Formats: sequence, structure tokens, C-alpha cells
Amino acid sequence: MPDLEHRADYFVGHFEAMASNCEVLIDTEDENLAQEITQLAATEVCRIEQKYSRYRDDNILHQINQGIVTRVDEETTRLLDYAQQLYHLSETRFDVTSGVLRRVWHFDGSDNIPSSAQIDALRPFIGWEKVQWHNPQIQLAKGMEIDFGGIGKEYAADRAVLIINTFISEQPDTRVHDTSVLINLGGDLAVTGPRKNGNGWQVGVNSGTSTMSPQAADFSLKQGGVATSGDANRYLKKDGIRYGHVLDPHTGWPVEGTPATVTVVAASCTDAGMLSTLALLHGPEAEVFLREQEVPWWCQWHNK
Amino acid sequence: MIKAFLLSTCISLVLSACSLEPVQPWDRDILAQQKMQLVADPLEIYLDEHTYFSKEASSGGQSVGGGGCGCN
Amino acid sequence: MQLKKTQQGPRNIRRQLAVATCSLLAGASHAGGLIASGDNWKIDSALLLYAEKDRVSLAEGILSISKEIDDDEFINARIVTDVLTGSSPNGAVPSNTAQTFTNPSGNSTYTEAANTTPLNHTFKDLRNALSVEWDTPLSRSLRGTIGGNISREYDYLSTGISASLAQDINQRNTTLTLGFSLNKDTWDPVGGVPVGFTVMPASPAKKAIDGANTDKTVKEILFGVTQIINRQTLMQTNYSWGQSDGYLTDPYKILSVLENDGSGNLRGTNPYIYENRPDQRTYQSLYWKGVHQFPNENVLNLSYRYFWDDWGIQSHTVDLRYRFDFDGGHYLQPHLRYYQQGAADFYRQTLTDGEEASLAYASADYRLGEFVTQTIGLKYGFEFKNGAEINFRAEMITQKGKDRSADAVGVLQNQQLFPDNEAYLLQGGLSLDSDMVIKYIMRLFK
Repeated sequence: MPDLEHRADYFVGHFEAMASNCEVLIDTEDENLAQEITQLAATEVCRIEQKYSRYRDDNILHQINQGIVTRVDEETTRLLDYAQQLYHLSETRFDVTSGVLRRVWHFDGSDNIPSSAQIDALRPFIGWEKVQWHNPQIQLAKGMEIDFGGIGKEYAADRAVLIINTFISEQPDTRVHDTSVLINLGGDLAVTGPRKNGNGWQVGVNSGTSTMSPQAADFSLKQGGVATSGDANRYLKKDGIRYGHVLDPHTGWPVEGTPATVTVVAASCTDAGMLSTLALLHGPEAEVFLREQEVPWWCQWHNK
Repeated sequence: MIKAFLLSTCISLVLSACSLEPVQPWDRDILAQQKMQLVADPLEIYLDEHTYFSKEASSGGQSVGGGGCGCN
Repeated sequence: MQLKKTQQGPRNIRRQLAVATCSLLAGASHAGGLIASGDNWKIDSALLLYAEKDRVSLAEGILSISKEIDDDEFINARIVTDVLTGSSPNGAVPSNTAQTFTNPSGNSTYTEAANTTPLNHTFKDLRNALSVEWDTPLSRSLRGTIGGNISREYDYLSTGISASLAQDINQRNTTLTLGFSLNKDTWDPVGGVPVGFTVMPASPAKKAIDGANTDKTVKEILFGVTQIINRQTLMQTNYSWGQSDGYLTDPYKILSVLENDGSGNLRGTNPYIYENRPDQRTYQSLYWKGVHQFPNENVLNLSYRYFWDDWGIQSHTVDLRYRFDFDGGHYLQPHLRYYQQGAADFYRQTLTDGEEASLAYASADYRLGEFVTQTIGLKYGFEFKNGAEINFRAEMITQKGKDRSADAVGVLQNQQLFPDNEAYLLQGGLSLDSDMVIKYIMRLFK
């Protein structure tokens, strides 16, 4: 049973998944309903974690990463298609095959920088265009890997929202139908819709010294999602140079001059996550990219 | 006039076959909008075609079917 | 692989991203909430009011219902009802004296004042039409559509079927369309089917008829190419061929027969005869349409049609709609249309006494004459956040015949021989999903 807590006029359910503290905010006074909804969210998030975790050897991702010709299910098809579209949409900046670089980059705060030779040795195994993806079959060259880590949490938040929305709309008691739910997976948020009072959920952005648009550190989230990407705690430092964890798939080296964190509000948590990730991949041009997207954003830079 | 039109049509077809860069599925967001459809408002087009069918000697061209009436 | 450098720096990808994310989240078995559910019926409706100055008035209502019954498989049903009242030119030319005509039934007469376009005042009609269409994928790149339609008026019945195939090629950037339709129509005119070129007798005498009803068959074939030009532009080019066989004459239209002395006066006895047209017509058209969206999200929709047939008619049609989008879901769309038509070989405004014996065909129907139609209109629409739309439009249509008074003889030189026309159109439309209707009804009963 997930644990449940009553706050002002809503319930909060807690569970642990995807290495994050997860919260479900349910706009109801009905404890049983809150319990059921939290359970649904936890089940869906854990399902996605198990199916696409790169730390397991019993899932479809593991099979694909062995280089075996794999006939994939419908959900994996959609994720692979999405990865392909994002690869093109980002002008090849976003690449789900770049995860192999983690074999040499360990962002543990140390000064342990890999050598150019080590990085160059991995570069043949990076590049979506080398993936043999012909729906419904995929085959990776030996040594290549796919990693949905850049999409997983945001996708799970949106999926949980979809399932909860369906659950709520199928309740025989129509008074339940306007129940709003917010999913928070370690800072990535998605909501089902406005709250009963017509307002959104109050969300605060840990803005600090952020530059931002609009000029407010907290806002009300009625629809869609919020995601934050950043390398505040994951970096290496050597000879005074900071090496952030955002890696450029073309060079194998960290993107230079990235902001510390980028927070974006968009039509879905997945959209928000992709926009914040792509902003980081734009390095010093992150804000230029964000301004172009016509979405609310917050951008925090490292102290120079 | 007619020849010029035919020529321009041929040119546009040839161009489309050879030198146009295909628009990829993930770039179809604009083309997917209702207002970008060839017939954005089918009822409006139906009513227009019905009106002009009963007032003019020409009809059709855009699609087949739809049915006749005694108005012409 | 060469990294593509953007010249203008980062571009807006939010909408493309939203499309991609939509399909990522959509296919799910629990696709509620964010994505519009496929369980709903889409309902489109419109009401048209059309009024000509001193002539015909029409009210027409349409209800169209569509549903996605399976992945990418749609059905649509459309019902149309229209009510027509008023009067329509009967084909006779104005005269400097009052003219008396026999009604189609032969039971009564109507009189038209001097120097006015003679109109048939008994124009009253109720039409009901139903059409259904089924549109389904046949393979990954091939779609098929079949449809049927039936339309009923008190003196006319039209039934038809249509089918088309659409093949995507060139990474779905090009679509080839092949369409076919077949219509079978039956006339059941008041007072029977008049024999061509026989006189309109003075009531109570009855006109010569060739049976109580008659029919025609219309077949059409269309070949089209639709091409995506770029992210903002789409073009379509169609060629179509059609053939009508059977009774193509208008059973209510007549011709004025003049004395052959050049006076322009109607002949003394039986001055009106029924028109007569060929029993076959083959027509073809070339149609081009382009749709383009500008960076400010306004949309241009431009089309041109060249139409010609073996009756000697040629026409050019240019149609332009330009949609201005405003904040908050409002839009305005001006509409301009220009239509120019040349006359049929057998179009005659009048005949002279005895001439009908030497002619095979003749008609004074203004729609077979030489004229220009111009339309100017404005549409306002509002798109609600939930996808519903409401819109209104107002248009003015003017129809003007070529001035042939120089060719007219005698007293007719002072008459308006082509019945110029001016019409106004008002239309309101509403589109929504069935679940919105259900929610609204449920709220009413709460």
C-alpha cells in the first residue's frame, strides 16, 4: 500500500520509483479514491521502469541491446518512432544511442576525465542513423545501446496521467469526473486538468538566480506538464574546468557552456522534458532556443 | 491562357517529382491542421457547389460523387 | 554524418514536438484525457439562407455525422433538406406588352407585366437528400472510399454511387487519386414531359407530352495528383471527364418565337415553344488548387478550374479564400470568386417564326448563355478550446449576362434580354463532438 497523507483540501500519495521520490496529488476528500489513484500511478510508473530500465537483464531493452533482431511490441514501437523523430527534429542533437558514453564518463564529482582515445573508441557505436529500425523489427550493431533514460520519467508521468484520466472518467459516480490529479516524479510534473475550483496546482520553481520568462518563480499548473533538466550535481571538474553531464553525441564530450538547470512548462510532461533537454544541448544558446519555443521557461546558470 | 496553365501544371508536377525535398512525417504539423486541408470546411464547399450547380453550366472538378438535383 | 547547421539559429519546434508526443502517447489502450477519444461522433451542421432579388429564396440545412470506426477507417452520413420558394426565369424574353403563360400543369395561367423578365412563379420545392460514405485504408499506402447518395424532390429523383482510390507515393508526399461516379436521375415533371419545340398551348389546352417521366444517366471519372510542396504548401491538380445521357432538357423552360419581319414582336399565334437540348453531353475539366500557410499562420486557398464540353460551353473559375487568424481562436476569411462562361452553341435568346423547323436544338435557359458570376463574401469563425467551432458567413453573388442588345431586333433592343441576377447568402455553422453534446445534456439534468 502506498502511503497517503491529507493536506489542506487534497490527498498526497507517496511512492518510490525511477530513483525518485514520487508524489500523487489528488483533488478529493475521498480517501479510498485517493488510495486507488495513487496505486494506479505507482503501478504504471513501475511497469515502465521495469520494461525500459537499462539496469535489468530481463526486459525488452536488454534484448535489443544484445544486438539480437527483435520484434518489438506496440509501446516500444511508439518509443522508437519517437526517438527517431526527435533525432531529426533536434537536428541529430538528441540521440538515444549516445548512452554508451557512460562507459567512460562517470559524473561523480571527481576529476576523472576520460582520454580522447577512450572517447573516440566509442564513437563508432553512436548514431541513430546506424540503427536498423524497420517497424516492427529492430537490430543494433554489436556494441551499440539504446537508452530511454532521457524520455522515461516524463513519459511515465504522462502515461500515469492518461491512465488516471481514463479511470476517473469511467467512474459511475459523475461527481468524481472533475477530480484533478498531479503526478510528480522527482520534479517532473503532469496534471490531468484544472482543479475543482477551476484553478491549477500551485507549482514553485527553485529559481534562485534564474533568468526566466515569465518573471515569476511560481505559477499555477492547470494543464500539461513541467520538466527540469540540468547538471547541478552531476559533473566532473579538472584544472578548473567544469565538465557537465550533457554529452554531445557528435563529439562524445560534454556540451560546453550549458545552464545549470532548465525548467519548461508545455502541453505534456514529455514535451516539457524534451524542450528542457534540447535547451541544454544548445549550450550557451539555450535561452535563444527557449525564447523561440513560446513556452514558459526558467534557466539557471552556473556562477561564473 | 489554357496552354500556359497546362504548361504550369506540367512544370509543377515535374518539379514535385524531381527536385522537391520530401516533407517528413514529423514535419507535418502545419499540414495536419484542419485549416490546411484541401477542403477545410466540407459543408461550406457542399453548399457552394450546390448553389453554383443550379446557377451555372459548369460543375465538379474537385471531386466525384455528391449527387444531382433537378435544379439544373 | 555532417551536422546540419541552422543559419537562422534555433527554430520553433514546439508544435512538431507536440505532434510527435501525441503519437507517442496516443496509441495507448487508455488514450483518454490529452488525446481526443476515437469513440466520439463528429457532428457538423450548417444552415444556409439564400435569397435572390425578386426571384428564388432558399433555406437549406445540413447535418453531417462522422465517426472513426477503426484505425483510420471512417464513416460519414449527411442529410440535407432544402426548401425553395419564389420564381425563376422561364426562358421567354420581356415584351412591351403583358405576357400570359400557361402553368406546367396546364390548369392555370400567369401573367407577366410589360418590360419585365418573365418568371415562373410556381417555383416551390422541397428537397431531401441523404448520402453515406465509407473511407478505409486498403494497405499501408492505399485508401479506398465508396459512397452512395439519394436525393428526392417532388418531380425529381437522383440516386448515385461513387468510389475512389488514393495511392500515396514518394514517402506520402504525393497522392494519386482515381475516382468514379455514376448517377441515375428520373424526372417526373408536372404535366408530363413536353415534346421539344412544341407549342405552349393556352390553358386549358394541354401540351404535347412524351410520357409522364423520363431519365438521365451521368457518369464521371476523375484523375488527380496531390503534392506536398513544403511544410506550408499543398497543391492538387485534377482532370475529370463526365458524360450525361438521356433527357437533358429543362421541361419547364420555353423560348419566345418572334415574327420574322425584324420588328421584334412575338408571333401572333403560339409565341412560346418548349426548349429542346441534345440527349448527350460530354464535359471535361482541369482543376488546380493550392493551399499555403504564411509565417503569420494565415492561410491562402486558391483554385482555378477550366471547364469545357461538346455543347460549346467553356468556363473559367477562380476561387480565393484567405484566412486571417487572430488570438483566442477567432478567424476571418474573405472569399472572392470569379466565374466566366461562354454560351452553348444552341443557346438562343429568341427564335423567329418557322426557324424551329430548321434547328435541331435550342434553349433560352440563361445558364447556357454567356455571363459572368462574381462572388464576394466574408466568413467569421471561432474555435473553442475543446475543438468545437462556430462560424457565420455572408456573401453577395451577382450574375451579369453579356450585353447583346445590339444584336437584338426591333423592339427587343430596348429590353433586358439576359436576366441579370443578384443574390445574398447567409450561413451559420456549428461543429462539435458527440461527447460535448452528452456532457451538456447531462449538465441540464443535474
